[in-house]
Amino acid sequence: MRTIKATILFVVLLLTVTACGIGGSDSQTLTVYSGRSEEFIGAFFADFEAESGIELNVRYGDSAELAAQILEEGENSPADIFISQDAGALGAVAQAGLLKKLPNELLSLVPATFKASSGQWVGLTGRVRVFAYNPNAVTTLPASIDDLTDPSWSSKIGIAPTNASFQAFVTALRIIRGDEATKNWLTKIVANNPKLFEKNSQIVEAIDAGQIQLGLVNHYYTWEVSKALGREINVVNGFFGPGDAGNLINVSGAGVFNTSKKQTLANKLIEYLLAEKNQKRFVSESHEYSVLPNVITPAGQPTLKEIGAPVVNLDSLKDLKQTQELLIKVGLL
Amino acid sequence: MLRDRTIEIYTTTLLLASIVLLFSFIVGSTFAWLIHNVTLPFGSLPIILSVLPLAIPSYVLTYAWISIYPGFNGFWAAVLILTLSTSPYVTLVAVASLRRIDFTQVEVGRSLGLSQLAVLRRVIWPQMRVSLSAGLLLVFLYVLSDFGAVSLLGVNTFTRNIYTMYRATFDRNGAAVISLALILLATLIIALEFRLRGRRTVIKSHAGIVKTHVKIKIGWFRWPLLSLIFTYALLALGVPFWVLTTRFIQNSESIDITSLISATFSTVIASFAGATLAMVFALPLGILLARRSGFIPKLAESSILLTHALPGVVIGLALVALSSKFPWIYQTLPVLAFAYALLFLAKAVGSIRASLQRIAPILNDVSNTLGITGFAAFRRVTLPLAAPGILIGFLLVLLTAMKELPATLMLRPTGYETLATEIWAATSISKFNEAAPYALVLIIIAAIPTFILTRPDKSDSQADSEGLIQ
Amino acid sequence: MTSLEVNELTIHFDGRPIVESLSIEVPSGAFAAVLGPSGCGKTTFLRSIAGLITPSSGTIRFGTQLVSISSLVLPPNKRHIGYVPQEGGLFPHLNVAENIGFGVGKSENIEVVDEMLNLVGMKNLATRKPYQLSGGQQTRVALARALAIKPQIVLLDEPFSALDAALRNELREEVCYLLKERKTTALMVTHDREEALVSADIVALMRHGQILQYGSSRSVYSNPISPEIAVSTGDVLLLKAERDASNSIRFALAQIELKGEIEIGQLVIRPEELIVSAEPSAAALSAIVSKVDYYGHDAVLQLLLDSWPEEEITARIAGPLGFNVGQKIWVTHVGPIRWFGLPDKK
Repeated sequence: MRTIKATILFVVLLLTVTACGIGGSDSQTLTVYSGRSEEFIGAFFADFEAESGIELNVRYGDSAELAAQILEEGENSPADIFISQDAGALGAVAQAGLLKKLPNELLSLVPATFKASSGQWVGLTGRVRVFAYNPNAVTTLPASIDDLTDPSWSSKIGIAPTNASFQAFVTALRIIRGDEATKNWLTKIVANNPKLFEKNSQIVEAIDAGQIQLGLVNHYYTWEVSKALGREINVVNGFFGPGDAGNLINVSGAGVFNTSKKQTLANKLIEYLLAEKNQKRFVSESHEYSVLPNVITPAGQPTLKEIGAPVVNLDSLKDLKQTQELLIKVGLL
Repeated sequence: MLRDRTIEIYTTTLLLASIVLLFSFIVGSTFAWLIHNVTLPFGSLPIILSVLPLAIPSYVLTYAWISIYPGFNGFWAAVLILTLSTSPYVTLVAVASLRRIDFTQVEVGRSLGLSQLAVLRRVIWPQMRVSLSAGLLLVFLYVLSDFGAVSLLGVNTFTRNIYTMYRATFDRNGAAVISLALILLATLIIALEFRLRGRRTVIKSHAGIVKTHVKIKIGWFRWPLLSLIFTYALLALGVPFWVLTTRFIQNSESIDITSLISATFSTVIASFAGATLAMVFALPLGILLARRSGFIPKLAESSILLTHALPGVVIGLALVALSSKFPWIYQTLPVLAFAYALLFLAKAVGSIRASLQRIAPILNDVSNTLGITGFAAFRRVTLPLAAPGILIGFLLVLLTAMKELPATLMLRPTGYETLATEIWAATSISKFNEAAPYALVLIIIAAIPTFILTRPDKSDSQADSEGLIQ
Repeated sequence: MTSLEVNELTIHFDGRPIVESLSIEVPSGAFAAVLGPSGCGKTTFLRSIAGLITPSSGTIRFGTQLVSISSLVLPPNKRHIGYVPQEGGLFPHLNVAENIGFGVGKSENIEVVDEMLNLVGMKNLATRKPYQLSGGQQTRVALARALAIKPQIVLLDEPFSALDAALRNELREEVCYLLKERKTTALMVTHDREEALVSADIVALMRHGQILQYGSSRSVYSNPISPEIAVSTGDVLLLKAERDASNSIRFALAQIELKGEIEIGQLVIRPEELIVSAEPSAAALSAIVSKVDYYGHDAVLQLLLDSWPEEEITARIAGPLGFNVGQKIWVTHVGPIRWFGLPDKK
């Protein structure tokens, strides 16, 4: 009995203490909702704190789930800044009117393709859709996504239809070719009996394990998987012909909340992440592309210019609803 | 088109849940029978091995399986994973109710010419039915709300669909429709279970000393029987342990000891607070459900169970919508604890109700005639007698809260990382080696409550001899 | 101590009357037993006195204190009664001393518990848990716990039914002694006629929620008001008989002058009222022993009277036994003749 009482007392005390401890935020603290994982941005945050004296209170999560959470919070959101892994989640939050237009000094740093036309969010890093493949098994590389519909690829391809990156690609395809053509392409792909995965990394692992020969992923997964496995893997990135929808460039990006009382500080963080030295660091550490013009490209990868990404307004990637309906229709979801 | 799809999701979900239910029933009740009736070697190791998989989150188990067997995918893979994860619930419930059965009844049954099997069917089963069907209901609801296994294995259930909808529209409206379908399905199953359970029969055991239960000695045959349990442990414990440790060793980047320790503490504190709060809610509810029958208690029970069937993300977002209106409490530990309490209330209420129902009402009467009434009687009679059930409920909530992810991600205080969120952070970027130490620590600390759960409950045998079981 | 008075008590359960217009009075310090078969409503009656059940009408008084009138009841904790339920109802989580001291306040707890442990002779078992006790010990603890609060009235529900015969007699004596010594008013309900007759000063016979007869053990036993009650208080010989031309009935053992209108009825004789002898005497009737049931301290003989061959009769004799099957013996009857009319067959 006594132990029960003591336990209850202990828990109550604990809750009160932590509640008070965490509740207090002073004027030099920014609350960050980060869909980008700590692994790929934590060090940047730490350096920013050291350099600026601004404390960051970071909440890591899945970009889409954070976006859903932000939409639930609405005007009550405690967050000052939202950093997302893809443009879609930022677009949805922006569309709900929760993001403030960024100052022109920031917007002017980044080319139009990597920011919202409304100016409510700006890209931080670029990631390219590629086909990852087993160089021993694949001799003739596909020049276009349409080549993959050839029956010779039957049962050899991996895709991740539930993954946001794949859905962004399909959305881009819809914008470029229209719904009917996209549906045709998807139907043919389905007829080729692709292996379905939940994550891009699983596709790369499956290629390495020899289960499939080629998969549609973001370009940096070959490094990630190799690093996670602690060894070289038998997977390399390939690019479709210039302008092919399969070469879509998506961005991770950031936006500042309307309700934030520390917008100036938040802008400082974005400015910091867009600084050339940090852009270079993104390139060398996570093998992403910089959103700034004329910054180095990831080692061994072609430049964005060489890739020739399709021209798609990233703002339009936010509405995945029709894309999902399409994927449902062809039986991929 | 969309209607076909809904039917398809319905079928998949129902089929998956039913098959897992069947398998975990077979596995759980077989193990429980072995553990209770057969002299197995290695003391309490068999029961610990068959219950310990409770400590392993289904997403960790799935990752482990995929990494040793890259083609591991699809419906039957999910059946395997979910059977491995859920059968401990059945084993636990079945062992507990077997321990409560007076062994003399078995002897009487045998002496009346019943075969071992007939005794099982006509003497033991009727007494286990109520608690076992409640345990199986939990299994069913677990499968309905599981996301980790089905998403990684690509099985299109309601819960996976709800997540996909969130990813598409980033808000609850679309997902709400599917959630409703899920609620409908869960309601049907709960109603079915209520029916199956029938009137909660109270089984009166006579007073006097319960004879010591005599276990069957079966000589060499115990080895193949034991190997059943070992095989299970290999699949449910061995695989994740092996994968975690090898991945960890293969690429042992220096472990971040500070964050490991702080995540461990955060996990313990949050789950402890959640389990405590769950008890605070569960106790009055358990009393209501144990003492009263009728529409209101049934409604209360159903809604508690329904909460259990909903994916964590749905409850999490609902609590986000609600608590974000109160900035001073939003994303604080109390709200996280509240979320845990809400999510896992069914487990707590179930075990509390069962233990309260086993208290003979006469004890309360005697207490009243001795001048001890109301809260004093509750404190001095009911509470100590229900303590084992309360402890079990507490431990079950504690265990599940430690592994909980979606609600934790949304409601934890910003910057508050638990073992589950650290595992998520590492695995979401395929850094399985970095997840390994967190996962190992999670399994180890979750093993502690699991271990307590497997201990034979001394007060139960006392209770029996006292005619506590009515 | 105090007296107990129940007046016109009726208790309904699920709309069905379980106890109907029941009245009983137990004087202060007396031990009363309610004797009845299971299902007659005796436990319900006992629980209503404890305040655990609300009656629909009637009153219950402890001395001059009205504790229950219609459905207005004093709660059990205010009644100051000692309740010993069936099988003891010990708290399984508490040891012997804690069980006994459960209803006693902190200040006098140690003292009272000590006294009670001595009283029931369980001093050396004070720290045992209930499951470590035998059935008799459990009953003792339950009684000690009830007595510890110095109750106005002690209520016992089948206190000895779970015990074996030898232990039962011993414990029954002990309990009666304890209750008498402390001059406690006690009410016991039981289905065991021997238990009721031996321990109680007053026996009430209960059937279908009603008290049929009420009085001292002796009067209830020897002057039953119906053959049914005679059966429920002990072995009887029920002999059917009809009125003859001389307005009397003739039975081998007796000739009764009839008053009233009874045409046909039953003669009730207790087996021990028949005196059996191996030697013939003037008033005795001859008979043949057809069966012997030997119990050690006594025996029951089945006899066939030469002058009444229609029916076998039973006689109880004290041991040692000196009769064999087939032996010719002589029977006389000593004691009251009880004649009860049966409803006319027409």
